[in-house]
This record gives sequence, structure tokens and C-alpha cells, in this order.
Amino acid sequence: MAKIFTLGAAIVLAVFMPFLVRAERDGFNETVRVIEQFYHVKHQSIPVLARAGMKAVKTAAKIRGGDYKKLAEAGSVRVAFFEEQTFDSHGEIASFKAAIQNALSDDWSALVQTLAPKTEEQTYVYVRDAGKHFHVLVITIEKHEATVVQATVAPEILAQLLKDPDEMGKALTNEATLSDP
Amino acid sequence: MKVIFRIFLKFAPLFLFVVTAHVVTTAQTAKLQLDQLDVLANRATETVDVKLDEHLMATTAKFFSGKEADDAEIRDLIKNVKGIYVKSFTFEKDHEYLPAEVDSVMSQLRGGSWNKIVAVTSKKDGDNVEVYLMSIGDQIAGLAVVSMEPKEFTVVNIVGPINLEKLTQLEGSFGVPYLNLPPPKPKSER
Repeated sequence: MAKIFTLGAAIVLAVFMPFLVRAERDGFNETVRVIEQFYHVKHQSIPVLARAGMKAVKTAAKIRGGDYKKLAEAGSVRVAFFEEQTFDSHGEIASFKAAIQNALSDDWSALVQTLAPKTEEQTYVYVRDAGKHFHVLVITIEKHEATVVQATVAPEILAQLLKDPDEMGKALTNEATLSDP
Repeated sequence: MKVIFRIFLKFAPLFLFVVTAHVVTTAQTAKLQLDQLDVLANRATETVDVKLDEHLMATTAKFFSGKEADDAEIRDLIKNVKGIYVKSFTFEKDHEYLPAEVDSVMSQLRGGSWNKIVAVTSKKDGDNVEVYLMSIGDQIAGLAVVSMEPKEFTVVNIVGPINLEKLTQLEGSFGVPYLNLPPPKPKSER
């Protein structure tokens, strides 16, 4: 009986462990942690400015001359801000890129990475399958601020975003962080 | 006849393995290994790295339904394309990257099934653009463009059936930069 129980437990663990590990390593938290450790900075969940008078996010992005449309699925957006802090990789920007890559699980694919070491400007866009949708992770870093956005997008939206991968990160970050005037 | 059939049956698995291995190998080689170029990132003033892999292309291609004005055109352009990979490094000063540092890419293009189909050199500006095509039989398996300028190095690798004309149409989309390629020669009329 004990053997059957052990075997059953082992099978259940074997089946569900990858999902548990995946849930733990969701990408967003790992990314925020890597930024904090590499640059010695601290994130805020809500921007300082937005705290003063936050309005509902209704921003819709315009993709490549098309109609304005909502990009992220409702309620799927996670945002972490790093404001008024100094981001200096001391000439080791490639190490930071590698650290981000190592922190993310294999199911994330690097889509776009732009680095400008002199100005410390960096954009990373990662994508992974999420059933019928896609998870998109956007990391934007400048000299004194950074943003991490994770959102779920429909495949037809991703297809439109892929037309201009360079603008993809900006469009999603703007939608997640800008509030209507 | 029976003897021939028996011999064929005996060696069928081996034959199948050889054919499959050939197909897999040739499909893989159209995708260039570009990661060795990452060492240039620390020195470059700007680095752009775009990777649209087969899974992503296949999943999203069907959503270019034609509702948007240019969707039908894009759908035709990327039909059967298995990947688009771009790496571009911009430097502050001339010749900040050495030919040896990009040889990891150039050596892949010099060997194997790649054929140089276009080479444009500007002695005045020092610009050098080369286009390589990989064909298997009469099928195009991939295309690579290497642009070497004194302050910039760019490599574009498209895996799948794509020609120069389609590549020109893709410029500015899917991360493919404007490459200033010469216009494709018009097809001769019979």
C-alpha cells in the first residue's frame, strides 16, 4: 500500500512539478530581482507620480499606422518602476544582458534586445506561449529610470506588434504606464 | 526482382535516416550562429538584436488576415519563412571592430551551401554589402545579408524561401533594417 502511495505521489510530483517551477519562475519577479541586484536599485510597484492622482489606464496604442487598439488582455498587466535611481553597468552591459537571460526560464524567447552602453539605454522584449495567448515581458532601462512590464496579449495583437519589433516594447510599456490626461 | 526488393527493405531504414539527417542538417545550416558577435556589444554605442523564430513566425503568420491594408502583402512575404534574425552593432569611431571579430559569421557563409549573389563595395565610404543565398535543389533555404561599414556591422539572416525582391519588401518590417541593396534585376522576357 505504501509502495502504491509513494509511486502515486512520485507520478503526481513528476506531472505537476514543471508547472509549479514555472509558476515560481514567472519571469517578472526574476527580472526585477536581477535589475535590483545588478544595479543596486529598488523598485516601486506604482510610480511616485501616479500615486498623487492615479487615473484608470485607458491608453490604447497605435500600431504601425493602424487603428488605436488595446494591446494587453484586461487585468493581465504587471508593472514595476525604478525611478530617480542611477543605472550604471560600468561597461558590463553584456553581463547584465546575460544575467537577464539566465534568470528567465527556457520557455521565454528573446525577441528584441537593444543596448546603448554609453547612455545605458536598453530594451528587452521576451515572449512565451501562454495557451491561446502570449506572455510578453518588456524591460526598459535608461540612465535614471527603468520599467518592467509583463502582459498577456492575443496572438493577433502579437502579430501586429511583430511588424515593428523595435516599437513593440514602447507600445506595450506606454499602454501599461501612461494614464489618460 | 524479389532480391532487389529484399535488399531495398533491408536498407530502407538506413536510407530514411540518411535522407532525414540531410534534410535536418540543411534546414539547420540556413540559420547562422550569430551569438559569437555578442562580444562586440560592450564596445558598440548601439546594439540591436532581433530574433523571430520558427514557432513565433508560424503562430502569428495566420493572423495576418487581410483586415489591415498591408496584411495580405505581409502574409505572402513571410509565408513559409522559418525565422528572421538580425544583429546590428554601431560604433563611435571607424574600424572599432576587427574583421577577425566577425569572422565567426563570415566563415559560415564562405563554406557549405551558401553562394554570394550580390557584393557592393564603396571605396569612397568603405561600405561593403554582401548578399548570400542558400539553395537546396531549386528551393531557396535561406538568405543572409552582411553589411560592413566603418562604424557599423549588420547581419540579417532569413531562414526559409525568400528572394532578394521579397527581402527588399521586408526592409523596415520585422526588424529587418534598410540595407540599401541594389534593385533586383528584372526577369528577362521570353
